[in-house]
Amino acid sequence: MKARCWHKSVSKLVAITLLLSLPIGGGCSSEKSAPPPEAGGEAAKSEGSEQPFELGNMLEPFDVPSLEELIAEHEWVDRPVVDSMKLMRDFQSSLPSPELSAEEALDLRNKSPEDNAKILDALGRLASEDGEGVDYEAELVMMTNGDLKSTNPLLTSSVTESDYHSLSAFGLFSFDKEFNKFASADSVVSWQTSKDRLIDKIVMRDDLTWSDGTPITAHDVAFSFQVLMTEEIPIPAMRQGTDKIRWIEAYDDHTLVYFHREALSTNDGNMNFYILPEHKYAETIPGDPTMARSKGHSALEDKPVVGGSYTLVKRTRGQEFVMQRRESAYMRNGKQVRDKPYFKTVRFKAIEDRNTALLALKADQIHAMELTAEQWNGQSDGDDFYRDNTKTSGLAWISFHFCWNTKTPYFEDKRVRQAMSYAMDYEELLDTILYGIYSPCQGTFHPTSKMFPKDGPEPFQQDLDIAEQLLDAAGWEDSDGDGIRDREVNGRTIPFEFTLIVANIEDRIKIATLMKECLESIGVECNVKPTEFTVLTQMQRDRKFQAAFAGWGTGADPDTTANLWVTNEGRNYGSYSNLRVDALFEQARHEFDEEKRMALYGEIHNLLWEDQPYTWLFVRNSFYGFNKRLRGYNFSPRGPFSYGPGIGSIYMPTLTP
Amino acid sequence: MFSYLVRRLALALLTLLLITFVVYALIRHMPGTPLTTDPAMMDPSKQISAEEIERLNKLYGLDKPWYVAYFHWAKNVVRLDFGRSISQNNAPVTSLIAERVPATLLLSISSLVLTYLLSIPLGLWSTVKSGTTIERTVSTLLYMLYSLPSFVAALFLQIVLAVKLGWLPLFGMTSDAYESFSMMGKTWDIFLHALMPVTCFTYGSLAYYSRFIRANMQEVVRQDYIRTARAKGVPPGQVIWRHAFRNTLIPLVTLMGLTLPSLLSGAVILEQIFTWPGMGRLYFEAIGRRDYDVVMGLTLVFSVLTLLGQLLADLLYAVVDPRVTYH
Repeated sequence: MKARCWHKSVSKLVAITLLLSLPIGGGCSSEKSAPPPEAGGEAAKSEGSEQPFELGNMLEPFDVPSLEELIAEHEWVDRPVVDSMKLMRDFQSSLPSPELSAEEALDLRNKSPEDNAKILDALGRLASEDGEGVDYEAELVMMTNGDLKSTNPLLTSSVTESDYHSLSAFGLFSFDKEFNKFASADSVVSWQTSKDRLIDKIVMRDDLTWSDGTPITAHDVAFSFQVLMTEEIPIPAMRQGTDKIRWIEAYDDHTLVYFHREALSTNDGNMNFYILPEHKYAETIPGDPTMARSKGHSALEDKPVVGGSYTLVKRTRGQEFVMQRRESAYMRNGKQVRDKPYFKTVRFKAIEDRNTALLALKADQIHAMELTAEQWNGQSDGDDFYRDNTKTSGLAWISFHFCWNTKTPYFEDKRVRQAMSYAMDYEELLDTILYGIYSPCQGTFHPTSKMFPKDGPEPFQQDLDIAEQLLDAAGWEDSDGDGIRDREVNGRTIPFEFTLIVANIEDRIKIATLMKECLESIGVECNVKPTEFTVLTQMQRDRKFQAAFAGWGTGADPDTTANLWVTNEGRNYGSYSNLRVDALFEQARHEFDEEKRMALYGEIHNLLWEDQPYTWLFVRNSFYGFNKRLRGYNFSPRGPFSYGPGIGSIYMPTLTP
Repeated sequence: MFSYLVRRLALALLTLLLITFVVYALIRHMPGTPLTTDPAMMDPSKQISAEEIERLNKLYGLDKPWYVAYFHWAKNVVRLDFGRSISQNNAPVTSLIAERVPATLLLSISSLVLTYLLSIPLGLWSTVKSGTTIERTVSTLLYMLYSLPSFVAALFLQIVLAVKLGWLPLFGMTSDAYESFSMMGKTWDIFLHALMPVTCFTYGSLAYYSRFIRANMQEVVRQDYIRTARAKGVPPGQVIWRHAFRNTLIPLVTLMGLTLPSLLSGAVILEQIFTWPGMGRLYFEAIGRRDYDVVMGLTLVFSVLTLLGQLLADLLYAVVDPRVTYH
């Protein structure tokens, strides 16, 4: 409290110092800055607008039918309501016993895929169902590489916030490590979908409470949807997908119905968004649609009311934030109604420097971190690392590529793009620059995914002869004998010289430089331009680049790649366009038979491989260092934390004397 | 003196206006905006649509031409409203800066005091012992220190003192249990956390300042009036301290003046390595995120301090050198 007051004093001091430096007269101004908008007010208007504030003003009017009518008029199909821990436990019980005990696994050094499998098998096992042997008083210390910008789940826009909300936010849906979607048994009693796939009906549990003791109800969900669909509220990203829902109606405290605009196979994902406590925001949002500037919202930002298992107890900008297990998340009237979260506190330390993070892991000051290829391969093999830690790796669907801007004269022809892919020296890339620990990338979908076609492509191998033939065929020949290929474009001969932008990161620059060297040998001039990340992102977003090195993680549904490949979509930075691909994505959205849908994505995969809008380079698996006291970690294609149960299954056993 | 002061202040205000105008123009012309961050890194299904960007641009006033936005910003500054951070969920800029001031000052003032406390005696001692083996050894060591990049030293200190020996905390400003400590415990905790960053922050300037003093003293001790003082039998200590050192103060005062802005500017790399919540990291992050109001707030602070430092140095000339007067 004292520190807070001190900050306020310093804040005033800063303001006064600045005032003294201002043009004469400024300091004497009697004008006061406008007081921050406060909550409520009958005539509340949205900021900067003369229009009265209207919640959900992006929604079209909708005639809500009665619940009785709905139930009577539709045929309903039961959908899965799953306890993700139980699901994982059932899966593990079907496996043979681990080859090694946990102690033996901790003594083993991870030097081969076999070692890795043994370690993961032994240490990935869940705690017993009754929690025996779990140290419930333990603290988990994680690293995060940035500040927590906002505690409001609807304003989330970064990985750090995603980490925070994975523990504190309330939601109804989740997915397992195979990306199978389900309603979470922790919050849902039943989930039904109408046979025409246009309506979803959820019955929520009646033992859910916010951290201030108020019950979490269906009205909170409907309210949050309305907030998301309000134009004046600056939602950075969470609106996407949710905007496909026509209406959400809370019929009572527990019964919730989602009305969709269209019957889509992606509707399940669209329903998955974070929930705000209506009793805290309903009155305050009209006065401050930014959800950040008013005193009321500032107070909520500092002391958020959460619906998840952990609540924020400390937040020091630039240093750390600490979350504490809340009893009301799993206890109701003295009875345990949900699994008790394993850690008493979870501390996230902001460490931006990777070397410091590794030292912190070695010094037992953080308990887990993702290791870079260099750290995995050379800096985590010694006694100093293995004294308190072990390391494991798992499959991750994170791939890296060169993106070719198809609107430039260089890369409009697919033969040129194919030539680029034939030119790259993959052996040098994978074995030398990437230490032989990453795999070649075989296209937009991972070979282990259901979307990867049965007749899927093999990775490219360097073949400069084919690359040259393709360039010749595309009209790029060295007509003036200067060693650089050229071609006539719009009546003017231009050399094949382009700029490849790449983030200012050492190994990425090395990869881009390798490409430059490869292209030199076939008469193509590539200028590598290391670029600040924000500039790189903006240039791609504006399509003001010729070629770029980049990478993507994976969503939980293959449709999340549509914005990479469909004509004029947001992440389609290379302006790739193939009407057949567009049509297949649309068709897949309307296909409900899982096998047929995956076959459509398989076709997309092959078309993309043929067109090579990217030169796919490599897949980066997850490489993690874990403190020896941690157990219960398993990998999904999105890493060890971001799935159900993910971070919730990790625990520390009690210390044996 | 008064009219000089008024003229200098007026000039400073004009300079300030120019600096902020140019910096604002520059940052607004850099590719990227506060909305350029890519939420797809968090979740590929979440992408800001073009319509959403347009809506947010309008909301945050990013759709206005940069010069209009500058005058809007300047007008607000006159009203003591330094704006809000778009990327930090509308947090007031003054709060963000104020949060970082204590940590930054702790490092910079400790480092500055240590630098002067050590470099002055070291510089004078080097002058007295000039040419001896021990002085040459110390000089070589100081040169070596000066050439050692602070981030290398930081990593080395972390490995030895924190990881291998466990004597000092590896990073951060406070321990996890900081809140539960007594006042003495808290002070001790911050002291321990600050030791390595302060060392890395200090040793380079210690080497530089002591060499600087020595070089100036070498010049002064060859002057006639020093020879005269010695001939008159003034004790060697008094010759160095009273007669020679005072004449080396003028360039030192200039240096001190220029040091003032560095008190708050922080050090990006060291702050990142030690996870020290200082101003350098805030500035660096704000530039990366194109957080215009934060960049401008910090630019204003640094500019004010630079101008004040120069003014202070000029005024101090008159104090240390009676020949200097201002009209």
